[in-house]
Amino acid sequence: MDTTVYVPVDGTRAVRARDLTKTYGSGEAAVHALAGVDVDFAAGEFTAIMGPSGSGKSTLMHLLAGLDTATSGQAFVGTTDVTALNDSALTKLRRDRVGFVFQQFNLLPMFTAEQNITLPVELAGGTVDRQWFGTLVETLGLTERLTHRPAEMSGGQQQRVAIARALIAQPDVVFADEPTGNLDSRSGAEVLSFLRRSVRELGRTIIMVTHDPAAAAYADRVVLLADGRIAGDISDPTPESALAGLDALRTLEPNVSTGTTPVVPGAGAR
Amino acid sequence: MTTTTTAPSTGAAGTAPAGAAAVPPKRNNLPTARYTMAQMRRSAGRLTAAGIAILIGTAFVAVTLLAGNVITRTTYDTIAARFADADVLVTTSGSDWRQDVEAVRGTDGVTAAEPVRSAYLNLGDGSAYAYAEGIARPQDDRLMPLELTSGKWPSERGEIAVPDGIAERLGVGVGDEIDIYRWVQTDAETGDGEEVAEPVRVVGVTEDPYDAYAVSGGAVVATAADIEEWGEEPVPGEAFEIAAVLAPSALSGDEPTQAVRDALAAAVVSDGEHAAQTVDERAREISAERTGGEDLVFLVFVLTFAAVALLVAGLVIANTFQVLVAQRTRTLALLRCIGAGRGQLYRSVLLEAAVLGVLASLGGVVVGVLLAQTALFVAPQFDIGVPLPATVTITPQVVLIPLAVGTFVTLVAALAPARNATRVAPLAALRPAETLSVRKGAGRARAVFSALATIGGFALVALGVFLGMNDAVQFGLAATVLGGAISLVGIIIGTVFWLPKVAALLGAIVARTGPASRLAAANTLRNPRRTSATATALLIGVTLIMTMTTGAAAARQTADSTLDETFPVDIMVMSGSGSVPPSAVDTIAGVDAVADVAELYSADAELPDGEYLYLQGADVEDLRATVNDAPALDGLEPGTVLLTEGQMEELDVAEGDTLDVTGTGEAVPLTVVRTDSVGLTGFVGLGDLRQIDPDAMFSQVWASLVPDVDAADALADVQQAMSDDGVMVTGPAAQRAQFEQVINVMLGIVVGLLAVAVVIAVIGVANTLSLSVIERRRESATLRAIGLGKSQLRGMLAVEGMLIAGVGAVLGIVLGLVYGWTGALTALSIMGGVSLTVPWLDLGVVLVVAIIAGLVASVAPARSALKASPVEALGAE
Ligand SMILES: Nc1ncnc2c1ncn2[C@@H]1O[C@H](COP(=O)(O)OP(=O)(O)OP(=O)(O)O)[C@@H](O)[C@H]1O
Ligand SMILES: [Mg+2]
Repeated sequence: MDTTVYVPVDGTRAVRARDLTKTYGSGEAAVHALAGVDVDFAAGEFTAIMGPSGSGKSTLMHLLAGLDTATSGQAFVGTTDVTALNDSALTKLRRDRVGFVFQQFNLLPMFTAEQNITLPVELAGGTVDRQWFGTLVETLGLTERLTHRPAEMSGGQQQRVAIARALIAQPDVVFADEPTGNLDSRSGAEVLSFLRRSVRELGRTIIMVTHDPAAAAYADRVVLLADGRIAGDISDPTPESALAGLDALRTLEPNVSTGTTPVVPGAGAR
Repeated sequence: MTTTTTAPSTGAAGTAPAGAAAVPPKRNNLPTARYTMAQMRRSAGRLTAAGIAILIGTAFVAVTLLAGNVITRTTYDTIAARFADADVLVTTSGSDWRQDVEAVRGTDGVTAAEPVRSAYLNLGDGSAYAYAEGIARPQDDRLMPLELTSGKWPSERGEIAVPDGIAERLGVGVGDEIDIYRWVQTDAETGDGEEVAEPVRVVGVTEDPYDAYAVSGGAVVATAADIEEWGEEPVPGEAFEIAAVLAPSALSGDEPTQAVRDALAAAVVSDGEHAAQTVDERAREISAERTGGEDLVFLVFVLTFAAVALLVAGLVIANTFQVLVAQRTRTLALLRCIGAGRGQLYRSVLLEAAVLGVLASLGGVVVGVLLAQTALFVAPQFDIGVPLPATVTITPQVVLIPLAVGTFVTLVAALAPARNATRVAPLAALRPAETLSVRKGAGRARAVFSALATIGGFALVALGVFLGMNDAVQFGLAATVLGGAISLVGIIIGTVFWLPKVAALLGAIVARTGPASRLAAANTLRNPRRTSATATALLIGVTLIMTMTTGAAAARQTADSTLDETFPVDIMVMSGSGSVPPSAVDTIAGVDAVADVAELYSADAELPDGEYLYLQGADVEDLRATVNDAPALDGLEPGTVLLTEGQMEELDVAEGDTLDVTGTGEAVPLTVVRTDSVGLTGFVGLGDLRQIDPDAMFSQVWASLVPDVDAADALADVQQAMSDDGVMVTGPAAQRAQFEQVINVMLGIVVGLLAVAVVIAVIGVANTLSLSVIERRRESATLRAIGLGKSQLRGMLAVEGMLIAGVGAVLGIVLGLVYGWTGALTALSIMGGVSLTVPWLDLGVVLVVAIIAGLVASVAPARSALKASPVEALGAE
C-alpha cells in the first residue's frame, strides 16, 4: 500500500463547506439535519464520513454535491459555490465535475455496462476518451463485463460499473453514499479497494459516507459527524480507530448535543 | 497493490478546472435518443395500449379521407363516363352553341362532335311514373355512353330508348307507348302554363355499363331534336360542352395535339372564355367543382367525430405518459444525478411521444386503408345504387394528414407528463422506491378556468334554451351547442377536483361486498388523478352518446304528440285526384285490422267577407267512432263548425261567433266552436255540409283500428287492399314509422361514430389498470403471500375496472341527460310542448356496456398480475 506514489497537489481543496446548515420543517417540528458545518476535503484524497444514523451524513453529501439546497452557508466544489448555482449550472456541474455512487439502483437496467459507463459523456454531448475508458475498465476489472446488463451482474460488479461511470468524465470529486451498504463483506472489500485505487492510481478525489469502520479504514481520513456537526477527524484510520471514534460519539452523545467537540482518542484534528 | 502507477493522462486531474476538459461541450439535442429507445423497448407493452388508442383515432381519420376520395372518384368516373369515347371536350359559354357545334364539326381532325345536352323528363303511363334525365342520341355512336340491350336507337322524333330499370318499373318494352309530361308555358307574360302529356314510343332498352347515369337513375335517349324541344336553353354563364372524337392524325398518343387544340379554340364562336380539354382534365375540373360542397360537409361532419375520438385518445396517451413518468422517477432522477439537463429529459419524453405517435399513426393509416378497401370489396354485394371504385385511391393527404394529426395529438398529450419529468429532483434517485411520488397538485388556475368554463357554458346553454323556447331556434341552437361545448370542456378539465369524490362514494358502496372489493375501492382512490383521467376519457364518449339518445327520445316523443294532433285518426285514405271511389268504404271496412270507418265529404265555402273556407263533413256518430279523441268532437253538432285557434285568428272570428257560410247551395249560419286538433279544423255535420253544397265531394275515408294491432302492419294491409284504386293511404303510423326511421338512422350513424371514442376510452381503462398492476407488482405479491387467492386478485382488478368505468358512465349519463334535454328544449320547443323523457332502455344499455367494458378491460392486466409468482415479484426491483 505504501508503495503507491501518487502525490496530491498540496494545499488544494477539492470540496469545502462553510457554516453549512440544513433545516427540515419549521417551528416546533424543525429538524436541524446540519447545524453549521465547516469542513475541507483535500484533492486527491479518499475521505470517509462517519457518524450515527441521522447525524446528517447523507444531508451533508447532498448539499456538497448540489443535489439539495442548503438552508444557509456555502458549499464549494473547487472554487464554485454550489449553493448559488441554478439548475442548468448544477446540471453542468454534475456533468463535468462531480460523480456519484449510490447504495443501490446506480445503473439503468436497459443499458449494458459499457453504455452505462459512457452515458454521462453522452448526456454532456461529448465523445468518450477511449484511453481513459480503457484505463478505468481495466483498473476496475470490468473488461469481461462490458456487454452485460445490470441484471446479469453481481452487486459488487454493478457497484464497480457505477464507480467507472462516476469517473468517466474525470470529475473533480466523486461522492459515494454507502456504496458497500448492500454488498457482502467480500464484494464490499473489492469495491473499496477499487475506490482506493481510483484515488491512488488515477488521482481522483472521493468522499464516501459509510457506517462500517472496516470500510472507513480504506480511506485516507475519516470525518466524524454527530447531530449535524463535525465531531471529530481521524487521519490514516484503521478499523479500530474508526470504531473507537464512533464509540466515543455514542458515549458522549449528551455532550455532542451541546455542541462540545468531544476528545476522540486517536483522532487528530487536521 | 503493485508499485508505481500514476494515471498517465490524468496526473493532476484533481485540480484541473474542469475534469472533463477532454470532452468539448458540443450541442447535441438528442443525446438521450438511445436512452429513449431503450426506455421505449422496456415499456413496449404499456405504450402499445396507448398506441392503439392513437391508431384507432388516426384510422378513423384515414377512413374518412378515403371515403371522401371515393366520393370524388365516383363523381369523377361518372362524369368521365358520360363523355364516352370523346377525345376532346370544347367548353364554351354556350351563347352561340349551335354555331360552335358546327364549327367544331368543321375543324380539321374532328371526325364527330356532339353537344352535351340533357332534359329532365317525367315519364308515365297514368299509374306509374319515373323521372329521368333525357339525353340526345349522338350522330356518332362513339359518343354514346349507354349500350342497347334490345330494340334500336331512336331515329325519329317521338321515339325513345329507356334504361332497363325504368322499363321494368313502368312495365314497358320495345314497341309500347308511354307519355312524357311536360310543363308548357301558355302565357309568357304571367308565366302561366299547363302540364301536357305527349305520347312517345319506346323503341329500345338500354343499359349503363359504365354507370354514367347510375346516380340519376338512368338516362332516356331521344333524338337531338326532341331533347332540344324538351330541354331548356343553356343557362348563360354555365359551361357548355361539346364532346368530339378526333381522327388519329389529330392525336399524339391519347392526347389531342396542340395543333388541334389551337384550331378548336380558334373555331369557337361564342363569346367569353373557352377551352379544349381532354376528358380527364375536364372530369377532374368538374368533380372538383361539384364535390367541393358535399364533400366538405361530409368531411367536416365525420371529422368532428374523429376529433372527439382523437381527443379521447389524447387523454389516454396523457394518462399513460403520466404513469410512465411516475414509474420512471428513479431512472429520471439517476439521469439527473449523472448530468442530464431538464431539457434533455423533456425532449426525451417528447421524442418518445413522437416516435409512438408516428408509429401508431402509420399503423392507423394502414388499418384505415385496409378497412376502406375491405368495405369497397364487400359493398358491391349490397345493392347501394352507387357505382364504387374497386380500390381505394391513396393520395398524399390520406397518409400525411392522419400522420400529422396523430403525431401532433400524441405530442400535445405528452407535454404535461414531459414537464413532470423535468420536475423530478435528482435526490429522488436516493430515496427508497416506495415513497416516491411525482408532484400532483392540481393548479388553482385550472380550478378557476374549469369553474368559469362550466358556469359560463351552462349560462350560455340556459340562454339558448330561452331563445329556443321563444322561437329563435337558430340563435338558440348556436348558443346551446357552443355553451354545451364550453361547459363540457370546463367539466373535463375540472374532473380531477370532484370525480374522485364520486368514485369514493361508489367505492364505499362497492366496498361492502367483500375484502377484494374493499381493496379495489381503496386502490381506485389511491391515485385520484389517474382514476379521474381514465374515467374522463370514457365520460366524454358516454356523455355525447347519451346526449344524442336523449335528444332523439325527446324528438320522438315530441313528434308523436305533434302527429297525434295532426292525425286525428289511425288511417286516412284520400285521393290525388280529389275524390275517392265509392267502393273504398266497403273495401277498407273489410280489412281485418280496421274497426270503424267514416266517410268524409268536402266542399269549398265562401264567407261573407269573400274569404274561402275548406269544409269537411261527416256523420258525427261515425266520426266519433273513428277518431282517437272522441271528446274533441263534443262541440260538433248541427249548426256548428270546428275551428282551431289559428284559423279563428286568420278568419278574424271568436269562439261563439256565427259565420254565414255559402256554397253552391244555400247559406247556412254556423256557430264557431274551438278545437285543439289541427286535423279537425273546418269540420261540420254532414247535414250542414249537404245544405251548403249538395254535391260535396266524397274526399276521404277515415278508419280506426282494432285495439292492439300493429299500426304499421294495419296500414300496410289497407294499402294492399286499396292498391288498385290509385288512392293514398296515410296515417300517423306511416308518418311515425318514417320519422322513426330517419331518427334511428341518424342516431345510429352518430352513435356508431361516437362508439369509436368509447372503444378508445375502454382501451384507456385497460391501460390504466395494467399500469397500476405493474406498479403494484410487489404489493400484489405481498397480498398473495398473505393469502389473497388468485380469483380474489382477479376479482379485485375486475371491481377496479368496473368502478372506473362505472364512474365515467354514470357521470356521462347524467351529463348526457342534461345536454340532451337542454338541446331538445332549444330545438323542439317551436313544435309545441317538448316532453323530456329519460330513455331508460338506452341508459341501461350504455351503463351495462360500460361496466362490462370495465370488466373486460381488467382481464389482461389480471393475467399479467397473476403471472408473476409471489416470490419473484417480491424480489423484483
Ligand atoms: N426529507 C427530509 N425531511 C425531513 N427530515 C429529514 C429529511 N431528510 C433527512 N431528514 C432528517 O435529517 C436528519 C439527517 O438525515 P440524514 O439522512 O442526513 O442522516 P444520515 O446521517 O445519512 O443517516 P443514515 O446513517 O441513517 O443514513 C435526520 O434526523 C433525518 O430524519
Ligand atoms: Mg444516510
